[in-house]
Amino acid sequence: MTQRISKTKRFIMMNPIIQFFKYIYLSIKILIVVAGGHGGTRKKV
Amino acid sequence: MAKIVILGAGISGHVAASHLRRKLSKQHEVVVVSPNSNYQWIPSNIWVGIGRMKAEQILFPLEPLYKKKNIGFKQAKAVSFHPEGDKEVTKPYVMVEYVKGEDKNTFEKVTYDFLINATGPKLAFDMTEGLEPGKNKAYSVCTYGHAEHAWHGLKELIEEVKKGKKAKILIGTGHAKSTCQGAAFEYILNVEQELRRHDVREMVEITWIANEYQLGDFGMDGMLLSYGSNIMRSNEMIEMIFEDRGINWIIGAAVNKIEDGLAHYETLDGEYKTETYDFAMLIPAFSGHGFKAYDKEDKDITEKLFKGFMIVDADYTPRPYEEWTVQDWPETYQNPSYKNIFAPGIAFAPPHAISKPRVSKNGTSISPAPPRTGMPSGITAKLVAENIVDIINGKKTLNHKGSMGNMGAACIASAGFGMTKGSGVSITTYPIVPDYVKYPDTQGRKLGKTFGEIGLAGHWLKLTLHYAFIYKAKMKPFWWLIPE
Repeated sequence: MTQRISKTKRFIMMNPIIQFFKYIYLSIKILIVVAGGHGGTRKKV
Repeated sequence: MAKIVILGAGISGHVAASHLRRKLSKQHEVVVVSPNSNYQWIPSNIWVGIGRMKAEQILFPLEPLYKKKNIGFKQAKAVSFHPEGDKEVTKPYVMVEYVKGEDKNTFEKVTYDFLINATGPKLAFDMTEGLEPGKNKAYSVCTYGHAEHAWHGLKELIEEVKKGKKAKILIGTGHAKSTCQGAAFEYILNVEQELRRHDVREMVEITWIANEYQLGDFGMDGMLLSYGSNIMRSNEMIEMIFEDRGINWIIGAAVNKIEDGLAHYETLDGEYKTETYDFAMLIPAFSGHGFKAYDKEDKDITEKLFKGFMIVDADYTPRPYEEWTVQDWPETYQNPSYKNIFAPGIAFAPPHAISKPRVSKNGTSISPAPPRTGMPSGITAKLVAENIVDIINGKKTLNHKGSMGNMGAACIASAGFGMTKGSGVSITTYPIVPDYVKYPDTQGRKLGKTFGEIGLAGHWLKLTLHYAFIYKAKMKPFWWLIPE
Protein backbone atom coordinates (compact mmCIF):
# COMPACT_ATOMS: atom_id res chain seq x y z
CA MET A 1 0.00 0.00 0.00
CA THR A 2 1.26 3.45 -0.84
CA GLN A 3 0.02 6.28 1.33
CA ARG A 4 -1.44 8.65 -1.23
CA ILE A 5 -3.85 10.44 1.08
CA SER A 6 -2.13 12.44 3.82
CA LYS A 7 -3.02 11.94 7.48
CA THR A 8 -4.51 15.44 7.66
CA LYS A 9 -6.65 14.82 4.60
CA ARG A 10 -7.74 11.45 5.95
CA PHE A 11 -8.69 13.09 9.27
CA ILE A 12 -10.86 15.59 7.39
CA MET A 13 -12.39 12.80 5.30
CA MET A 14 -13.42 10.76 8.32
CA ASN A 15 -14.17 13.40 10.98
CA PRO A 16 -17.95 13.21 11.59
CA ILE A 17 -18.32 16.89 12.53
CA ILE A 18 -16.46 18.19 9.49
CA GLN A 19 -18.21 15.63 7.33
CA PHE A 20 -21.63 16.66 8.62
CA PHE A 21 -21.10 20.13 7.17
CA LYS A 22 -19.64 18.55 4.04
CA TYR A 23 -22.80 16.43 3.78
CA ILE A 24 -25.02 19.52 3.84
CA TYR A 25 -22.74 21.28 1.34
CA LEU A 26 -22.61 18.28 -1.02
CA SER A 27 -26.37 17.70 -0.83
CA ILE A 28 -27.03 21.27 -1.95
CA LYS A 29 -24.32 21.22 -4.60
CA ILE A 30 -25.51 17.91 -6.05
CA LEU A 31 -29.10 19.12 -6.02
CA ILE A 32 -28.05 22.17 -8.01
CA VAL A 33 -26.31 19.98 -10.63
CA VAL A 34 -29.06 17.41 -10.84
CA ALA A 35 -32.21 19.47 -10.37
CA GLY A 36 -30.65 22.41 -12.18
CA GLY A 37 -32.60 21.51 -15.28
CA HIS A 38 -31.98 19.73 -18.54
CA GLY A 39 -32.97 20.27 -22.11
CA GLY A 40 -32.11 19.74 -25.72
CA THR A 41 -28.90 20.56 -27.53
CA ARG A 42 -30.20 21.16 -31.04
CA LYS A 43 -31.04 24.58 -32.39
CA LYS A 44 -34.65 25.08 -33.42
CA VAL A 45 -34.98 25.16 -37.19
CA MET B 1 -59.33 7.76 -23.16
CA ALA B 2 -55.79 6.54 -23.72
CA LYS B 3 -54.00 3.36 -22.79
CA ILE B 4 -50.30 3.61 -22.03
CA VAL B 5 -48.33 0.39 -21.78
CA ILE B 6 -44.94 0.40 -20.10
CA LEU B 7 -42.57 -2.48 -20.64
CA GLY B 8 -40.28 -2.90 -17.64
CA ALA B 9 -40.54 -1.88 -14.01
CA GLY B 10 -36.98 -0.84 -13.28
CA ILE B 11 -36.04 2.74 -12.45
CA SER B 12 -37.15 4.03 -15.85
CA GLY B 13 -40.39 2.07 -16.22
CA HIS B 14 -41.49 2.68 -12.66
CA VAL B 15 -40.75 6.42 -12.82
CA ALA B 16 -42.75 6.70 -16.06
CA ALA B 17 -45.68 4.73 -14.61
CA SER B 18 -45.73 6.79 -11.38
CA HIS B 19 -45.71 10.15 -13.15
CA LEU B 20 -48.28 9.09 -15.73
CA ARG B 21 -50.62 7.85 -13.04
CA ARG B 22 -50.22 11.02 -11.04
CA LYS B 23 -50.84 13.33 -13.98
CA LEU B 24 -53.55 11.47 -15.87
CA SER B 25 -57.15 11.12 -14.77
CA LYS B 26 -58.54 7.66 -14.01
CA GLN B 27 -60.26 7.40 -17.39
CA HIS B 28 -56.79 6.81 -18.87
CA GLU B 29 -55.23 3.39 -18.39
CA VAL B 30 -51.63 2.84 -17.30
CA VAL B 31 -50.37 -0.75 -17.56
CA VAL B 32 -46.94 -2.05 -16.57
CA VAL B 33 -45.66 -5.29 -18.07
CA SER B 34 -42.63 -6.75 -16.30
CA PRO B 35 -41.31 -10.27 -15.73
CA ASN B 36 -40.10 -9.14 -12.27
CA SER B 37 -42.56 -9.04 -9.41
CA ASN B 38 -40.37 -6.73 -7.30
CA TYR B 39 -39.03 -3.23 -7.67
CA GLN B 40 -35.36 -3.13 -6.69
CA TRP B 41 -33.21 -0.12 -5.91
CA ILE B 42 -30.22 -1.34 -7.92
CA PRO B 43 -27.58 1.11 -6.58
CA SER B 44 -27.79 -0.59 -3.16
CA ASN B 45 -27.00 -4.05 -4.59
CA ILE B 46 -23.40 -3.28 -3.69
CA TRP B 47 -24.25 -3.44 0.00
CA VAL B 48 -26.15 -6.69 -0.43
CA GLY B 49 -23.02 -8.06 -2.11
CA ILE B 50 -20.95 -7.42 1.02
CA GLY B 51 -23.60 -8.63 3.45
CA ARG B 52 -24.30 -5.21 4.98
CA MET B 53 -27.87 -5.08 3.68
CA LYS B 54 -30.46 -7.77 3.12
CA ALA B 55 -32.15 -8.03 -0.27
CA GLU B 56 -35.48 -7.29 1.46
CA GLN B 57 -34.17 -3.83 2.34
CA ILE B 58 -33.71 -2.82 -1.27
CA LEU B 59 -36.88 -4.23 -2.85
CA PHE B 60 -40.63 -4.28 -2.49
CA PRO B 61 -43.41 -6.11 -4.37
CA LEU B 62 -44.95 -4.11 -7.20
CA GLU B 63 -48.39 -5.64 -7.51
CA PRO B 64 -49.91 -4.37 -4.20
CA LEU B 65 -48.59 -0.85 -4.87
CA TYR B 66 -49.90 -0.81 -8.43
CA LYS B 67 -53.27 -2.15 -7.30
CA LYS B 68 -53.53 0.63 -4.72
CA LYS B 69 -52.50 3.30 -7.22
CA ASN B 70 -54.73 2.03 -10.04
CA ILE B 71 -51.85 0.98 -12.28
CA GLY B 72 -52.38 -2.27 -14.19
CA PHE B 73 -49.70 -4.92 -13.80
CA LYS B 74 -48.96 -8.00 -15.87
CA GLN B 75 -46.09 -10.23 -14.76
CA ALA B 76 -45.03 -11.08 -18.24
CA LYS B 77 -42.19 -10.49 -20.67
CA ALA B 78 -42.39 -8.75 -24.02
CA VAL B 79 -41.90 -11.09 -26.97
CA SER B 80 -42.56 -9.08 -30.13
CA PHE B 81 -43.71 -5.62 -31.22
CA HIS B 82 -46.64 -5.04 -33.61
CA PRO B 83 -46.85 -1.23 -33.95
CA GLU B 84 -49.50 -1.45 -36.72
CA GLY B 85 -51.49 -4.30 -35.22
CA ASP B 86 -52.16 -7.25 -37.51
CA LYS B 87 -54.92 -8.67 -39.71
CA GLU B 88 -57.08 -9.42 -36.69
CA VAL B 89 -56.19 -6.61 -34.28
CA THR B 90 -56.34 -3.10 -35.70
CA LYS B 91 -54.67 -1.38 -32.74
CA PRO B 92 -50.92 -1.53 -32.17
CA TYR B 93 -49.94 -4.17 -29.65
CA VAL B 94 -47.10 -5.98 -27.92
CA MET B 95 -47.12 -9.73 -27.70
CA VAL B 96 -46.31 -10.70 -24.11
CA GLU B 97 -45.75 -14.04 -22.44
CA TYR B 98 -46.78 -14.51 -18.82
CA VAL B 99 -44.04 -15.84 -16.58
CA LYS B 100 -45.95 -16.68 -13.42
CA GLY B 101 -49.27 -17.89 -12.07
CA GLU B 102 -52.11 -19.68 -13.83
CA ASP B 103 -51.37 -17.91 -17.10
CA LYS B 104 -47.69 -18.94 -17.15
CA ASN B 105 -46.41 -19.59 -20.68
CA THR B 106 -49.56 -18.17 -22.25
CA PHE B 107 -49.42 -15.24 -24.66
CA GLU B 108 -51.50 -12.08 -24.84
CA LYS B 109 -51.72 -9.25 -27.34
CA VAL B 110 -51.53 -6.14 -25.16
CA THR B 111 -52.87 -3.23 -27.19
CA TYR B 112 -51.79 0.36 -26.57
CA ASP B 113 -52.16 3.97 -27.62
CA PHE B 114 -48.69 4.81 -26.32
CA LEU B 115 -45.86 2.40 -25.60
CA ILE B 116 -42.89 3.06 -23.34
CA ASN B 117 -40.12 0.55 -23.81
CA ALA B 118 -38.20 0.59 -20.54
CA THR B 119 -36.85 -2.92 -20.76
CA GLY B 120 -33.29 -1.88 -19.91
CA PRO B 121 -30.41 -4.10 -20.94
CA LYS B 122 -30.06 -7.84 -21.20
CA LEU B 123 -27.25 -8.97 -18.91
CA ALA B 124 -25.32 -10.79 -21.62
CA PHE B 125 -23.27 -13.23 -19.52
CA ASP B 126 -23.33 -15.59 -22.49
CA MET B 127 -21.07 -13.22 -24.44
CA THR B 128 -18.14 -14.29 -22.23
CA GLU B 129 -17.40 -18.01 -22.15
CA GLY B 130 -17.75 -19.43 -18.65
CA LEU B 131 -19.09 -16.20 -17.11
CA GLU B 132 -22.22 -17.17 -15.25
CA PRO B 133 -23.08 -15.74 -11.81
CA GLY B 134 -21.81 -18.08 -9.12
CA LYS B 135 -20.14 -20.49 -11.54
CA ASN B 136 -16.34 -20.74 -11.54
CA LYS B 137 -16.19 -18.57 -8.37
CA ALA B 138 -17.07 -15.54 -10.52
CA TYR B 139 -20.08 -13.55 -9.33
CA SER B 140 -22.20 -10.55 -10.29
CA VAL B 141 -23.99 -7.79 -8.35
CA CYS B 142 -26.28 -6.78 -11.22
CA THR B 143 -29.44 -8.00 -9.47
CA TYR B 144 -30.26 -8.46 -5.79
CA GLY B 145 -30.25 -12.23 -6.34
CA HIS B 146 -26.79 -12.09 -7.87
CA ALA B 147 -25.60 -9.80 -5.07
CA GLU B 148 -26.85 -12.19 -2.37
CA HIS B 149 -25.07 -15.00 -4.14
CA ALA B 150 -21.87 -12.93 -4.34
CA TRP B 151 -22.02 -12.27 -0.60
CA HIS B 152 -22.23 -16.02 0.12
CA GLY B 153 -19.14 -16.56 -2.03
CA LEU B 154 -17.25 -13.72 -0.38
CA LYS B 155 -18.26 -14.83 3.10
CA GLU B 156 -16.94 -18.34 2.47
CA LEU B 157 -13.66 -16.88 1.23
CA ILE B 158 -13.31 -14.64 4.30
CA GLU B 159 -13.80 -17.72 6.53
CA GLU B 160 -11.08 -19.57 4.62
CA VAL B 161 -8.72 -16.59 4.86
CA LYS B 162 -9.33 -16.40 8.61
CA LYS B 163 -8.05 -19.97 8.78
CA GLY B 164 -4.81 -18.89 7.10
CA LYS B 165 -5.43 -19.12 3.37
CA LYS B 166 -3.92 -16.42 1.15
CA ALA B 167 -6.36 -15.31 -1.51
CA LYS B 168 -6.75 -13.25 -4.68
CA ILE B 169 -9.81 -11.22 -5.54
CA LEU B 170 -10.53 -9.95 -9.03
CA ILE B 171 -13.19 -7.30 -9.65
CA GLY B 172 -14.07 -5.33 -12.77
CA THR B 173 -15.54 -5.94 -16.20
CA GLY B 174 -16.09 -9.35 -17.75
CA HIS B 175 -16.19 -8.41 -21.43
CA ALA B 176 -14.37 -6.17 -23.92
CA LYS B 177 -17.46 -3.95 -24.30
CA SER B 178 -18.89 -3.99 -20.77
CA THR B 179 -20.16 -0.81 -19.22
CA CYS B 180 -21.20 0.07 -15.66
CA GLN B 181 -17.61 0.26 -14.40
CA GLY B 182 -18.99 2.40 -11.56
CA ALA B 183 -20.74 -0.57 -9.95
CA ALA B 184 -17.57 -2.64 -10.05
CA PHE B 185 -15.61 0.33 -8.69
CA GLU B 186 -17.98 0.60 -5.74
CA TYR B 187 -17.83 -3.11 -5.11
CA ILE B 188 -14.05 -3.35 -5.09
CA LEU B 189 -13.77 -0.53 -2.52
CA ASN B 190 -16.50 -2.04 -0.35
CA VAL B 191 -14.91 -5.49 -0.48
CA GLU B 192 -11.55 -3.96 0.44
CA GLN B 193 -13.09 -2.23 3.46
CA GLU B 194 -14.93 -5.39 4.54
CA LEU B 195 -11.67 -7.35 4.45
CA ARG B 196 -10.14 -4.73 6.74
CA ARG B 197 -13.16 -4.95 9.03
CA HIS B 198 -12.69 -8.70 9.25
CA ASP B 199 -8.97 -8.12 9.90
CA VAL B 200 -7.86 -10.22 6.92
CA ARG B 201 -6.86 -7.50 4.45
CA GLU B 202 -3.15 -8.36 4.55
CA MET B 203 -3.91 -11.92 3.41
CA VAL B 204 -5.75 -10.88 0.27
CA GLU B 205 -4.46 -9.47 -3.00
CA ILE B 206 -7.11 -7.36 -4.71
CA THR B 207 -6.96 -6.56 -8.43
CA TRP B 208 -9.11 -4.35 -10.63
CA ILE B 209 -9.49 -5.58 -14.21
CA ALA B 210 -11.32 -3.45 -16.76
CA ASN B 211 -11.73 -2.63 -20.42
CA GLU B 212 -11.00 1.04 -19.73
CA TYR B 213 -7.97 2.62 -21.41
CA GLN B 214 -7.39 4.63 -18.25
CA LEU B 215 -8.67 4.27 -14.71
CA GLY B 216 -11.71 6.45 -14.06
CA ASP B 217 -12.93 6.33 -17.66
CA PHE B 218 -16.34 4.97 -16.54
CA GLY B 219 -17.41 4.72 -20.20
CA MET B 220 -17.52 8.53 -20.30
CA ASP B 221 -14.00 9.13 -21.56
CA GLY B 222 -13.03 10.10 -18.01
CA MET B 223 -13.39 13.69 -16.90
CA LEU B 224 -11.53 16.70 -15.70
CA LEU B 225 -12.92 17.56 -12.29
CA SER B 226 -12.42 19.91 -9.42
CA TYR B 227 -11.26 18.16 -6.27
CA GLY B 228 -10.98 20.57 -3.33
CA SER B 229 -8.88 23.45 -4.56
CA ASN B 230 -7.25 21.29 -7.25
CA ILE B 231 -8.27 20.35 -10.77
CA MET B 232 -7.43 16.77 -11.63
CA ARG B 233 -8.31 14.08 -14.11
CA SER B 234 -10.58 11.26 -12.98
CA ASN B 235 -7.84 8.72 -13.71
CA GLU B 236 -5.53 10.54 -11.27
CA MET B 237 -8.22 10.52 -8.62
CA ILE B 238 -9.02 6.82 -8.99
CA GLU B 239 -5.30 5.97 -9.14
CA MET B 240 -4.83 7.84 -5.86
CA ILE B 241 -7.68 5.88 -4.24
CA PHE B 242 -6.48 2.50 -5.53
CA GLU B 243 -2.89 3.09 -4.45
CA ASP B 244 -4.04 4.29 -1.05
CA ARG B 245 -6.15 1.13 -0.65
CA GLY B 246 -3.42 -1.18 -2.02
CA ILE B 247 -5.48 -2.27 -5.02
CA ASN B 248 -3.64 -3.41 -8.16
CA TRP B 249 -5.07 -2.72 -11.58
CA ILE B 250 -5.10 -4.17 -15.07
CA ILE B 251 -6.65 -1.89 -17.70
CA GLY B 252 -7.33 -2.15 -21.42
CA ALA B 253 -8.26 -5.78 -20.75
CA ALA B 254 -10.92 -7.75 -22.58
CA VAL B 255 -11.91 -10.71 -20.44
CA ASN B 256 -12.92 -13.40 -22.91
CA LYS B 257 -13.05 -16.65 -20.95
CA ILE B 258 -13.64 -17.62 -17.34
CA GLU B 259 -12.60 -20.95 -15.88
CA ASP B 260 -12.65 -22.06 -12.26
CA GLY B 261 -10.25 -19.56 -10.68
CA LEU B 262 -8.85 -18.39 -14.01
CA ALA B 263 -9.72 -15.28 -16.00
CA HIS B 264 -8.39 -15.20 -19.55
CA TYR B 265 -8.06 -11.81 -21.20
CA GLU B 266 -6.60 -9.96 -24.13
CA THR B 267 -4.85 -6.61 -23.76
CA LEU B 268 -4.78 -3.62 -26.10
CA ASP B 269 -1.18 -4.62 -26.87
CA GLY B 270 -2.55 -7.83 -28.35
CA GLU B 271 -1.19 -10.10 -25.62
CA TYR B 272 -3.24 -12.99 -24.27
CA LYS B 273 -2.90 -13.33 -20.51
CA THR B 274 -4.43 -15.17 -17.57
CA GLU B 275 -5.14 -13.98 -14.03
CA THR B 276 -5.86 -16.35 -11.17
CA TYR B 277 -8.47 -15.61 -8.50
CA ASP B 278 -10.29 -17.11 -5.54
CA PHE B 279 -13.27 -14.78 -5.85
CA ALA B 280 -14.28 -12.58 -8.75
CA MET B 281 -17.06 -10.12 -9.51
CA LEU B 282 -17.20 -9.23 -13.18
CA ILE B 283 -19.80 -7.04 -14.87
CA PRO B 284 -21.05 -8.69 -18.08
CA ALA B 285 -21.68 -7.02 -21.42
CA PHE B 286 -25.09 -5.39 -21.80
CA SER B 287 -27.09 -6.05 -24.94
CA GLY B 288 -30.53 -5.50 -26.38
CA HIS B 289 -33.16 -8.18 -25.78
CA GLY B 290 -33.31 -9.30 -29.39
CA PHE B 291 -36.95 -8.26 -29.84
CA LYS B 292 -38.57 -8.64 -33.24
CA ALA B 293 -41.10 -6.26 -34.77
CA TYR B 294 -43.74 -6.91 -37.46
CA ASP B 295 -46.08 -4.74 -39.52
CA LYS B 296 -49.79 -5.44 -40.07
CA GLU B 297 -48.94 -7.81 -42.92
CA ASP B 298 -46.66 -9.73 -40.54
CA LYS B 299 -43.57 -8.54 -42.40
CA ASP B 300 -40.40 -8.18 -40.31
CA ILE B 301 -39.77 -4.48 -39.58
CA THR B 302 -37.29 -4.97 -36.74
CA GLU B 303 -34.82 -2.54 -38.35
CA LYS B 304 -37.39 0.26 -37.97
CA LEU B 305 -37.51 -0.20 -34.22
CA PHE B 306 -34.25 -1.73 -33.13
CA LYS B 307 -30.57 -1.34 -33.58
CA GLY B 308 -29.66 -3.70 -30.77
CA PHE B 309 -31.51 -1.35 -28.42
CA MET B 310 -34.49 0.75 -29.55
CA ILE B 311 -34.07 3.43 -32.22
CA VAL B 312 -35.04 6.91 -31.00
CA ASP B 313 -34.54 10.52 -32.14
CA ALA B 314 -30.74 10.26 -32.25
CA ASP B 315 -28.50 10.77 -35.26
CA TYR B 316 -27.22 7.28 -36.04
CA THR B 317 -25.23 8.27 -39.14
CA PRO B 318 -21.96 6.31 -38.94
CA ARG B 319 -19.05 8.73 -38.45
CA PRO B 320 -15.51 8.57 -37.12
CA TYR B 321 -15.31 9.15 -33.37
CA GLU B 322 -13.67 12.55 -33.83
CA GLU B 323 -16.63 13.81 -35.87
CA TRP B 324 -19.51 13.01 -33.54
CA THR B 325 -21.24 15.86 -31.79
CA VAL B 326 -23.31 16.19 -28.68
CA GLN B 327 -26.30 17.00 -30.93
CA ASP B 328 -26.31 13.36 -32.08
CA TRP B 329 -27.79 12.34 -28.74
CA PRO B 330 -31.57 11.95 -28.41
CA GLU B 331 -33.78 14.59 -26.78
CA THR B 332 -37.26 13.08 -26.60
CA TYR B 333 -36.59 9.29 -26.87
CA GLN B 334 -39.35 8.96 -29.46
CA ASN B 335 -39.09 6.35 -32.18
CA PRO B 336 -38.96 8.18 -35.54
CA SER B 337 -41.05 5.59 -37.39
CA TYR B 338 -43.78 5.10 -34.80
CA LYS B 339 -44.37 8.31 -32.89
CA ASN B 340 -46.35 6.66 -30.12
CA ILE B 341 -43.36 4.54 -29.03
CA PHE B 342 -40.70 5.86 -26.65
CA ALA B 343 -37.58 4.32 -25.11
CA PRO B 344 -36.10 6.13 -22.10
CA GLY B 345 -33.40 4.89 -19.73
CA ILE B 346 -31.13 2.11 -20.94
CA ALA B 347 -33.57 0.85 -23.59
CA PHE B 348 -32.59 3.34 -26.29
CA ALA B 349 -29.76 2.74 -28.74
CA PRO B 350 -26.95 5.24 -28.11
CA PRO B 351 -25.76 6.97 -31.30
CA HIS B 352 -22.11 6.30 -30.56
CA ALA B 353 -19.58 5.58 -27.87
CA ILE B 354 -18.61 8.32 -25.42
CA SER B 355 -15.32 6.70 -24.51
CA LYS B 356 -12.89 6.66 -27.43
CA PRO B 357 -13.16 3.28 -29.22
CA ARG B 358 -9.90 1.34 -29.13
CA VAL B 359 -8.87 -1.80 -30.94
CA SER B 360 -6.22 -4.31 -29.86
CA LYS B 361 -3.39 -5.35 -32.16
CA ASN B 362 -5.47 -8.45 -32.93
CA GLY B 363 -8.44 -6.35 -34.03
CA THR B 364 -10.53 -6.84 -30.89
CA SER B 365 -12.55 -3.77 -29.97
CA ILE B 366 -11.76 -3.04 -26.30
CA SER B 367 -13.52 -0.02 -24.83
CA PRO B 368 -16.46 0.63 -22.52
CA ALA B 369 -19.94 1.07 -23.93
CA PRO B 370 -21.78 4.29 -22.94
CA PRO B 371 -23.19 4.14 -19.41
CA ARG B 372 -26.75 5.23 -18.62
CA THR B 373 -27.18 5.14 -14.91
CA GLY B 374 -30.18 5.56 -12.62
CA MET B 375 -30.34 9.31 -12.70
CA PRO B 376 -30.58 9.82 -16.50
CA SER B 377 -32.93 6.82 -16.61
CA GLY B 378 -35.27 8.56 -14.20
CA ILE B 379 -35.01 11.96 -15.88
CA THR B 380 -35.62 10.61 -19.38
CA ALA B 381 -38.55 8.46 -18.17
CA LYS B 382 -40.16 11.48 -16.50
CA LEU B 383 -39.86 13.65 -19.60
CA VAL B 384 -41.31 10.89 -21.78
CA ALA B 385 -44.27 10.64 -19.37
CA GLU B 386 -44.72 14.42 -19.47
CA ASN B 387 -44.68 14.48 -23.28
CA ILE B 388 -47.28 11.70 -23.46
CA VAL B 389 -49.50 13.62 -21.02
CA ASP B 390 -49.11 16.71 -23.23
CA ILE B 391 -50.08 14.78 -26.37
CA ILE B 392 -53.13 13.34 -24.62
CA ASN B 393 -54.06 16.87 -23.60
CA GLY B 394 -53.88 18.04 -27.21
CA LYS B 395 -50.39 19.46 -27.63
CA LYS B 396 -48.84 18.85 -31.03
CA THR B 397 -45.14 19.19 -30.16
CA LEU B 398 -42.90 17.48 -27.64
CA ASN B 399 -41.85 20.28 -25.32
CA HIS B 400 -40.01 18.24 -22.71
CA LYS B 401 -36.47 17.51 -23.78
CA GLY B 402 -33.48 16.05 -22.03
CA SER B 403 -30.35 15.24 -23.96
CA MET B 404 -27.55 13.56 -22.05
CA GLY B 405 -25.46 16.35 -23.57
CA ASN B 406 -27.47 18.87 -21.55
CA MET B 407 -28.01 16.98 -18.34
CA GLY B 408 -26.00 16.62 -15.17
CA ALA B 409 -25.50 13.39 -13.28
CA ALA B 410 -24.27 12.51 -9.84
CA CYS B 411 -22.49 9.28 -9.05
CA ILE B 412 -22.28 8.68 -5.33
CA ALA B 413 -19.99 5.68 -5.28
CA SER B 414 -19.88 3.86 -2.01
CA ALA B 415 -16.32 3.23 -0.86
CA GLY B 416 -17.20 1.41 2.33
CA PHE B 417 -20.23 0.87 4.57
CA GLY B 418 -20.61 2.27 8.10
CA MET B 419 -22.04 5.32 9.84
CA THR B 420 -18.63 6.29 11.25
CA LYS B 421 -16.20 4.15 9.24
CA GLY B 422 -17.93 4.36 5.87
CA SER B 423 -16.80 6.37 2.90
CA GLY B 424 -18.04 7.47 -0.47
CA VAL B 425 -16.65 8.99 -3.63
CA SER B 426 -19.10 11.65 -4.75
CA ILE B 427 -18.66 12.64 -8.38
CA THR B 428 -20.92 14.89 -10.39
CA THR B 429 -20.53 15.55 -14.06
CA TYR B 430 -22.14 18.09 -16.36
CA PRO B 431 -22.94 17.30 -19.06
CA ILE B 432 -22.90 13.50 -19.11
CA VAL B 433 -21.96 13.44 -22.80
CA PRO B 434 -19.05 15.87 -23.18
CA ASP B 435 -19.75 18.99 -25.23
CA TYR B 436 -16.37 19.84 -26.71
CA VAL B 437 -17.72 22.93 -28.50
CA LYS B 438 -19.25 24.53 -25.42
CA TYR B 439 -16.47 23.54 -23.02
CA PRO B 440 -13.37 23.19 -25.23
CA ASP B 441 -10.77 23.78 -22.50
CA THR B 442 -12.15 21.45 -19.85
CA GLN B 443 -12.57 18.22 -21.82
CA GLY B 444 -16.18 18.97 -22.74
CA ARG B 445 -17.48 19.52 -19.22
CA LYS B 446 -18.30 22.46 -17.00
CA LEU B 447 -15.78 22.45 -14.15
CA GLY B 448 -17.94 24.03 -11.43
CA LYS B 449 -20.53 21.30 -11.94
CA THR B 450 -18.01 18.48 -12.46
CA PHE B 451 -16.39 17.75 -9.16
CA GLY B 452 -15.25 14.93 -6.90
CA GLU B 453 -15.20 14.51 -3.12
CA ILE B 454 -14.08 11.62 -0.96
CA GLY B 455 -15.14 10.96 2.62
CA LEU B 456 -17.67 9.86 5.18
CA ALA B 457 -20.24 12.37 3.90
CA GLY B 458 -20.33 10.40 0.65
CA HIS B 459 -21.53 7.31 2.52
CA TRP B 460 -24.23 9.28 4.31
CA LEU B 461 -25.31 10.74 0.99
CA LYS B 462 -25.58 7.33 -0.64
CA LEU B 463 -27.55 6.06 2.35
CA THR B 464 -29.86 9.10 2.17
CA LEU B 465 -30.45 8.42 -1.53
CA HIS B 466 -31.23 4.78 -0.72
CA TYR B 467 -34.02 5.71 1.71
CA ALA B 468 -35.25 8.71 -0.30
CA PHE B 469 -35.59 6.82 -3.57
CA ILE B 470 -37.26 3.79 -2.01
CA TYR B 471 -39.72 6.21 -0.36
CA LYS B 472 -40.27 7.84 -3.74
CA ALA B 473 -40.66 4.51 -5.54
CA LYS B 474 -43.28 3.43 -3.00
CA MET B 475 -45.21 6.57 -4.03
CA LYS B 476 -45.60 7.73 -0.46
CA PRO B 477 -46.99 11.22 0.29
CA PHE B 478 -45.31 13.99 -1.74
CA TRP B 479 -43.02 11.47 -3.46
CA TRP B 480 -42.93 13.64 -6.57
CA LEU B 481 -41.08 16.40 -4.69
CA ILE B 482 -37.97 14.23 -4.68
CA PRO B 483 -36.12 14.91 -7.96
CA GLU B 484 -35.15 12.06 -10.24
